[in-house]
Amino acid sequence: MTTKQTTILILDDEPIVSKRLKPSLEKKGYEIETFTSSADALKRIQERQFDIVITDLKMEGVDGMQFLAEVKGRFSDTEVIVITGFATMETAKESFNRGVFDFLAKPFKLGEIAEVISRAEAKIKNR
Amino acid sequence: MKNFLHRVGQLFQRKEQTVPFRLIFADFKKILELNNQLLDLIADANDKLSGDYIFDEQYIHTTCHQLTDLVRELIVLINHLTQQKYADLYNSFHRIEENIQVILQGDILCPVTDYVLPYSAITRGLIDAVGGKNAHLAEIGSVLGLRIPDGFAITTAAFSSFWSENNLEEKVAALIRQQQHKALPLEEMAWEIQRLIFDATVPAKLEKKIFAAADRISKARPETIPCFAVRSSAQGEDGASSFAGQYRSCLNIHLKNLPQAYKEVVASLYSPEAVEYRLRKDLRPNEIKMSVACQLMIPAKASGVMYSYDPVLPEEETLVISSAWGVGEPIMSGKIPTDLFVLDRHSPHEVKEVQVVRKERNMILQGCDGIGMESVPKERQTQASLTNQQLKELAEIGLQLERYFKKPQDVEFAIDQQENIIVLQSRQLGLQQAQPPRACDLTDLGGKYPILMQGKGITAMKGIASGPVWILERDSDLHDFPVDAILVARYASPQLARVIHKASGFITDIGSTTGHLATVAREFRVPALFNTENATSLLQHGQEITLDTECLTIYAGKVQELHFHSFHEEPIEEMYEYRLLRRVLKKIEPLNLFDPKDSNFTPQGCQTYHDLTRFVHEKAVETIIDLNFYHAHHRDTQAGQLVWDYPLDLILIDVGGGIEGEHDKGIRPEQIRSIPMQTLLRGMSHPGIWDMTSMQIDLGSFMSSLTKTAATHNTNMEEVGRNLAVISSEYTNINFRLGYHFTVIDAYLSDNILDNHIYFRFSGGVTDPTRRSRRTTLLNKILSHYDFLCEQHGDIIVARLKGMNKKSMLNRLFLLGLLIGFTRQLDVKMVSDAKISVYFEQLKTIMKESHDHETDHYSNFG
Repeated sequence: MTTKQTTILILDDEPIVSKRLKPSLEKKGYEIETFTSSADALKRIQERQFDIVITDLKMEGVDGMQFLAEVKGRFSDTEVIVITGFATMETAKESFNRGVFDFLAKPFKLGEIAEVISRAEAKIKNR
Repeated sequence: MKNFLHRVGQLFQRKEQTVPFRLIFADFKKILELNNQLLDLIADANDKLSGDYIFDEQYIHTTCHQLTDLVRELIVLINHLTQQKYADLYNSFHRIEENIQVILQGDILCPVTDYVLPYSAITRGLIDAVGGKNAHLAEIGSVLGLRIPDGFAITTAAFSSFWSENNLEEKVAALIRQQQHKALPLEEMAWEIQRLIFDATVPAKLEKKIFAAADRISKARPETIPCFAVRSSAQGEDGASSFAGQYRSCLNIHLKNLPQAYKEVVASLYSPEAVEYRLRKDLRPNEIKMSVACQLMIPAKASGVMYSYDPVLPEEETLVISSAWGVGEPIMSGKIPTDLFVLDRHSPHEVKEVQVVRKERNMILQGCDGIGMESVPKERQTQASLTNQQLKELAEIGLQLERYFKKPQDVEFAIDQQENIIVLQSRQLGLQQAQPPRACDLTDLGGKYPILMQGKGITAMKGIASGPVWILERDSDLHDFPVDAILVARYASPQLARVIHKASGFITDIGSTTGHLATVAREFRVPALFNTENATSLLQHGQEITLDTECLTIYAGKVQELHFHSFHEEPIEEMYEYRLLRRVLKKIEPLNLFDPKDSNFTPQGCQTYHDLTRFVHEKAVETIIDLNFYHAHHRDTQAGQLVWDYPLDLILIDVGGGIEGEHDKGIRPEQIRSIPMQTLLRGMSHPGIWDMTSMQIDLGSFMSSLTKTAATHNTNMEEVGRNLAVISSEYTNINFRLGYHFTVIDAYLSDNILDNHIYFRFSGGVTDPTRRSRRTTLLNKILSHYDFLCEQHGDIIVARLKGMNKKSMLNRLFLLGLLIGFTRQLDVKMVSDAKISVYFEQLKTIMKESHDHETDHYSNFG
């Protein structure tokens, strides 16, 4: 049996985040595309839909809040996971108001994000 | 004595205390709180090096910022408490903080001041001083015992001196700025900088050190001509982002020409290719302080390169060696044809393929006048440049290096005139598989390989390891630990670090990611999974397994797919953020102040934030005792020394209703009216607890903890002062140092359940690490059993309890009393794992018995 691979877009302006997440998630069978510039990521989501989007909030140029609004506006099915080093109650609240699936404060463990992703994946599959 | 009188004098000169004790005590409690916050934050930061976390530069900056604020606050508080007695702490603090700032900006601080270090003196921790190439080669010699060239490193400290004495910093920065503003093409900038370096002078002091080091080496080898290979050993040069060929090497350089060669190699930092390469890689401009390697030239008979995996077809499980006659340079740079050998990676390393080519010319050393090409005698031209014996030896060396460095290796070697194999360099080999393993191949691994354990444990070090299981029964068995096995043990005891160079992985039933073993596993990149609960009973001795610590999975058999996948991952130490965190932690985490009696136990002796924290804490306790005991008492407190049958030197300070009656000659236990204190003492003096050990103990250790408290009766009273309890009728705050154990208890008990709390913090001394981890396990077990919320940070146990009624809280305080009385000898008694459950049961029995008559006990001491 072959099932379609879950596709994930990762956007974080700190390159280390993608560099670490990509191999770890690929190992778990996900198809991963990574971006460090929100402009490039925006361009990419015009071209294709991802099952899951993982984005940082605070970035140069288009910030994460705008980006996730754009993603949710285009594809309401896409589950967005926010990762941020500046976690406050307000940003968390705002993210959830915008339909974010979950919110992770940096630093986080590889296992923690994997767990969030598999919950998002389960939600997608149960639709 | 003079000192003591001076201090007493000082105390009397002070203005009469007008600050109420509760305010002073509030400062003291704040110090304790900050102290705990700091230690936790430091332990957490260290944990990030496990590779199990994703963090960015922002995290490092934020953490350093928090730590700096906390330390500053501590220093302000202790000076407030002592009327600026420790103002010198500000100097040490500023010095450390400045260093941290420099590191955060990306600069490398050379950990030593030496300009030159011989290979025998280089360890892994000195990588920022000597660069990757030097550090790795030195380790290959000293740790793995393989032959390496005699040599020394010219450190980054030497580089800094060279740079600053020639004012290169400003000049180079100006040129870089011009280039960035497009006023100067990159290539021209590079040449300009190189010219500056060639025109610069090697400082006389550095020159002297270089000559001396080279001279020492050549004197030890009178048979050789004192000629050296001078190579770069820059940051990041030896890893996957290998700078192979980017920097210059100078071969066969006579001792007297070494300073000139040093400049040539340093100048190659700014070749246009190198500058461009660095721009593409994750190397910051400040990180490029170069160390240089000087190695005694080997008049090689043959030389070559070995790949521990075939980089194109790794699944073939072969290793590839190419070699030719003479000195290696034309072989490495592909200028002459080489023989090719393909060997089985598995012992006995069968030779699977041989291609011997015609080798007409080879490179030789021309006395001390450099190098030159020469014809190879006819009869040797078609002869294989390595013997079968040498091939097999090389294969073993290749696998040994791979095991040690945890990645496939690209090894340069030479065969000297005595037919010895000498390792010249070993660095990570990039595998260029046409098709990296597809992720979906990995999702079905469970179907191909039985999963023995999944989802249990914590990652102490991320990675993949395969090998036979080796279950540790007794610590003494460690001698027999075989190379390449996976060590499976009950505890993550620091003792296990002894086999770090042999083990391919660690699995334990119990263990913390902040302990010593975790730190060592990280340093040596050995995958480690702790706290699996039952790996020792689940896995079988000798069974072949693959451990994936990131996914918390153990497979039966060797899962080659996972290994190939991991080869594609960039090792974490190749990432700037890891290097940065590691560097910055060196100014934060190590503890250099141990014993308050040591001569370095001063503000000036503090070298890290941890030192500052320790110093402040020690002095805070001392000060509270000074103010309330040695000094004329505070008018709102009473104080006295506990007079007890047990050697516990305890100063009690009563802030309200904690003591009854006269106490000029000390305080008898029955005078204590503080309920928490009473209960603790009752626990400590429970029959058999304090002196349970009279039988089979290690007398030395016992005496050392005993005399430390007992002897003080006869000496200067001032020296006693580290056991302190501040009490009131409902409250107790204790700081105990018994032997080498250090305990803090803070407890408040009233009839209002919501106000009740107990805080217990225990940290252990410098005794045998295995017993220490057994003790930690026992404490964890018993405290959790009695409802405490336990946290472990390395050797520290913190247990908290809240919101229980007074009776139950008192019960638990009694337990803490038992534990204090007991743990001071626990280390010597924890001779085997079995003792944990023995003592666990024993303590439970005592608790049960005491619980029955509990109400009789606590209201009436004695």
